[in-house]
Amino acid sequence: MKPAQKDRFARHIRLPQIGEKGQQAILDASALIVGVGGLGSPAAMYLAAAGIGKLVLSDYDIVETSNLQRQIIHRNDAVGENKVESGRQTLKALSPDCEVGVIGYQMEADELRQVVDSVDIVLDCSDNYPTRFDVNRSCVETGTTLVTGAAIRLEGQIMNYQPAADSACYQCLYTHAYGAEESCELEGVLGPVVGVIGTLQALQALLILAGRGDALVNRLLLFDAYAMEWRAVTLPKNPDCPACGKA
Amino acid sequence: MNINIEFYASLMKYLPPGKSRFRREVKVDDGITLSRLIEQYNIAEDQAHLVLVNGLFVNCGADRDNRALVEGDVVSIWPPVAGG
Repeated sequence: MKPAQKDRFARHIRLPQIGEKGQQAILDASALIVGVGGLGSPAAMYLAAAGIGKLVLSDYDIVETSNLQRQIIHRNDAVGENKVESGRQTLKALSPDCEVGVIGYQMEADELRQVVDSVDIVLDCSDNYPTRFDVNRSCVETGTTLVTGAAIRLEGQIMNYQPAADSACYQCLYTHAYGAEESCELEGVLGPVVGVIGTLQALQALLILAGRGDALVNRLLLFDAYAMEWRAVTLPKNPDCPACGKA
Repeated sequence: MNINIEFYASLMKYLPPGKSRFRREVKVDDGITLSRLIEQYNIAEDQAHLVLVNGLFVNCGADRDNRALVEGDVVSIWPPVAGG
């Protein structure tokens, strides 16, 4: 590690759970962020600030004025730009050494699998079930660790799929199809709720990359922001899961 | 028999009047199934996403249909969340 890096990341290195070894693992790591919205904003910014070697941003939307109350990676003057390009500019300003790749279109299943396979960890920060199931399946097929967060209104949740621990996957939660698609546009969302969950995704990713992230194996963490209640739910692996089950 | 119900987030509106923001002690028929309880509170099946009995996840479908509740059980229900 270069002296400038030791200085920049001194507060991480001081932590016994991270140390120089953990920080080096973060510097050498790559992550795919699926969705550069409310969750992806803090997730990408914290990972870039923490020194992650490479981030790949995937999103095919453009920045709209109504995004700005929560999607803090995008600036007022980025309205009308592609989210991935706007995100890249913010990340490069924050952390010039972080390599930032962008994918500004909807990937087909094969390409998604290839991209997932090319990174160390995936953060699902998307906003719909079809994308979430596709990302989860790609992670299961390629044995890639997944940190998945979701938030709407005043509620959020986070869980991990960790193939090294043979953990439950995101699809284990969904044996039935969920037709009820809810969007932040229709339901509303209080900005910091996505901030809390996206930040936790970055936190989990950093701990996992540093070899310290087993706290959410087979556990789902639920956040009710209105009641200020957190619940941890034990989530057993579903043997009949359509993604990770034996069938 | 008496059980405790906890409805979180957008499901709190289905709780009967009471003090706690998300928890009530309620009287139900002896041996009522989880599915019947959810129906009784008018929660649509696709809104009763995460259902726990005494903190343990119960899958939807047959597992909920066959799960008979007993006195003192705590049933917690969360809606699905996919936004980002």
